[in-house]
Amino acid sequence: MYQYNEFDRTFINQRVAHYRDQTERYLQGDLSEDEFLQLRLRNGLYVQRLAPMLRVAIPYGTLSSQQLRALASISNDFDRGYGHLSTRQNMQFNWPALEDVPDILQALADVDMHAIQTSGSCIRNVTTDQFAGAAADEEIDPRPYCELLRQWSTSHPEFEWLPRKFKIAVIGATFDRAAIGVHDIGIRVNGSSEQPENALVDIYAGGGLGRTPVLGALIRERLPVKHLLTYTEAIMRVYNRYGRRDNKYKARIKILVRALTIEKFKAKVDEEWAAINHEQGAVPAAELSRLSAFFAPPSFAELDNAGELLGTQRLENPAFNRWMKHNVHPHRVSGYSVVTLSTKVTGMPPGDVSSDQMDAVASWADCYGFGEIRISHEQNFVLPHIPQDKLYALWQQADAIGLGHFNAGLISDIICCPGGDYCSLANAKSLPVAEAIQRRFADYDYQYDLGSLDLNISGCMNACGHHHVGHIGILGVDKKGQEFYQISLGGHAGHSGEAPRLGQIIGPSVAREEVCDVIEKVIKVYLGLRFEGETFLSCFNRIGILPFKESIYAKAA
Amino acid sequence: MPRLLKRIPSGWQICDVAETPWIAQDEWRAGGALQVGVDAEPLADWLEASSVAIEFPAMTDGRGLSLAVLMRNRLGYRGELVARGSIHQDIVHFLARCGFDAIELPNEEHLETALKWIDPHTGYYQPSVIRSESALTSAN
Repeated sequence: MYQYNEFDRTFINQRVAHYRDQTERYLQGDLSEDEFLQLRLRNGLYVQRLAPMLRVAIPYGTLSSQQLRALASISNDFDRGYGHLSTRQNMQFNWPALEDVPDILQALADVDMHAIQTSGSCIRNVTTDQFAGAAADEEIDPRPYCELLRQWSTSHPEFEWLPRKFKIAVIGATFDRAAIGVHDIGIRVNGSSEQPENALVDIYAGGGLGRTPVLGALIRERLPVKHLLTYTEAIMRVYNRYGRRDNKYKARIKILVRALTIEKFKAKVDEEWAAINHEQGAVPAAELSRLSAFFAPPSFAELDNAGELLGTQRLENPAFNRWMKHNVHPHRVSGYSVVTLSTKVTGMPPGDVSSDQMDAVASWADCYGFGEIRISHEQNFVLPHIPQDKLYALWQQADAIGLGHFNAGLISDIICCPGGDYCSLANAKSLPVAEAIQRRFADYDYQYDLGSLDLNISGCMNACGHHHVGHIGILGVDKKGQEFYQISLGGHAGHSGEAPRLGQIIGPSVAREEVCDVIEKVIKVYLGLRFEGETFLSCFNRIGILPFKESIYAKAA
Repeated sequence: MPRLLKRIPSGWQICDVAETPWIAQDEWRAGGALQVGVDAEPLADWLEASSVAIEFPAMTDGRGLSLAVLMRNRLGYRGELVARGSIHQDIVHFLARCGFDAIELPNEEHLETALKWIDPHTGYYQPSVIRSESALTSAN
C-alpha cells in the first residue's frame, strides 16, 4: 500500500496545526458557528443529533494493521470503544468531544492518516473496489490512480469550495464493485498493472444517488491515463463555475449535466480541456510508476489451492461451509482467497465495530494476510490475501468475537446508514428497520435459498444507505411527522456484471411495522415466480414490477 | 485608509493603501480599476485594467477561484488581482495559490490571522498559478 514520505507527513501535520488554531479560536469566540462549520467539515467533523461525529478518511478503503490498531486506540481514548464503517469506505466516530478533535487528528497523523475533505462541498475520499489487487476478475489495479487522485484533490487551490460535495470512484475489474455509475465522476481503468503509465481510462460523469438519483454518462473513452488529472480539472472547472449554488438540492453535478444535456456538458468539458495545456499538465510516467510500485503484490508464497483440506473442513463444520460459500472470494493467486468479515450481526448496527474487533482484525491481518485490511462499501472488513490453509483458523477466531457471520451478499448483509438514531439529516430511523428484517429472515436456509440479494436502507433521501441501487431499497420518509418507508425494487449497483440501474418505487410508503410484511410479500412473489437458479435480480428483470405491486397493494377481497 | 494583505517579493504583508475607485463591468473603460462578479466570463479587454477585483458573495463561493485561475493562466493577466467581499481569514491560502496578489477582508481585525495562515504548508500536492513545482510533478 501507499507509504507516506516526509512531504506527506509534513503536509498533514501542518494541516492539524491549522485546524488546532481554528478550534481554539472557535472556542474563544473568535470564529462564528457558521464560519467554523465550513472549516470543521473539511476536517471531517459534523455536529450530529446527539454529539459531534468525526469521519476519518480511509483512502480507497485501504488500511494497514498498524492504522487499524490506532483507530481502535482512538475509539477507546476519545470515543465509546467502537467505530462505524461507512458506505464510502471510511470510519466514523460517533461520540468525540469537539475540543478533542485536534488531538484525534494528531493521533491519526502519527499513523499517516487524516480526516481531510471527508465532508463539506469539496472532493471527497476516492473510493474503489474493496478487492483491488486481489480479485480474480481484476484487469488492472485501480489503487495507484486512486492515490494519484487523492494527492491531486487534497487541498486543491481551485476546487475546495464547490457547489456541493463531489465523489469519485475508480474500478479496474470486470465486476464493478465500486459502483462507478452512481458517482459524480466514475472512472474505469483499462490496461495492465505492468505498464501503469499506458492505461486508458473511460470517464463517466453526472451520476449520483440522493434526492434525484441519476446514472453517470460516459463522456470520454479511452483517454490516456497521463491526462487523467487535466481532464478531471476540466470537469471540475466547468462544475465549479456553472453548477447551481442557489439551492443545495440542485447543486450536484448531475443537475448541471441534466440542465445542459450530456452532449452540451461534454462539449463544454472538451472545450475546457482543449484550452488547458494538457501536455504540460500530463502526469509524468515516472510518477505513475512510482505510485504503482507501492501497490506491487506482496510476496505471495507458491501455494497450491487447498481444495482437499478445505473440503474436509467444510464437511466437518457446516457453519464454516456456509462462511466459505458466502464470505470467501476467489483470489488472483493460487492458494489464496479474499475474505469478507461481516459486521452484519442481528442486533448490532450494520458497520459498527468494537475496538476489540478492530484489534483482532489487525492481528489476523498481521498473522495471515500481509498486514493489509480493506473496508467495503457494504460496510464490512475485507482481508484481501489469506492463504487457503489458514481460512479455517481465521474463521474460528473471527466467529469467536462476532465477525464470523456467514451472510456476505445475502439478505441480512444489509447496507444501512446510521439514520434517525444518530444523523441530524434523517427523516426516519433505519437501524431498527434493518434489525427487524434481519430477525424476520434469520433462518439461514431461507436466506440461502433466496441467494444473492442486496437490501439497502437509507433514513433520508440523501441516500447514504444506497437504497436506489439495492435489489430491494428502503427509504425513510417523513409523512406529517410520522416515519414511513418507501420501497423500491430492481436497483443494482453494477457489481454483478450488468450496467447499474436505479430501483423502481413499488407504490405508496408504508409504516415501520408494515415494512417486514411488505418485504416478505416481495420475497414470496419472487419465490413463486422464479425459474430454477434464477436470482432475485434476474427474476425481476424478467417479470418486472407489476406482480410485486399486485401482491402488495391488492385490495382485500 | 484601507488595510489589506498584499503579496510582496518576499511573501505577504499587511499594507495601508489608498482607496481604489472600483468600476463595475458595464461602466468600466480601459485604464480604470475593474471590479467583476464571480460569475463573469473573462474578456481580453480586462488586460487594459489598472487593477482587477473579483468580489466574492460568500465565503463558500469558489467561482472566484476558477475565474482567477482563468485570468492568470488563460488570459495572461499579469496586473494586480484583488479579492474582495466575503473573504474569510482561514481560506486566504486558496486565494493566494489561485493568483490573487491582494486580499481585502470584510473585517480588518482579522488581517493578522489571515497573514499567519496565508501559506500554511511548506509544499503542496498540485502545481498552482504561483508555483509550478509540486509533490505530483516532481516525482521523488
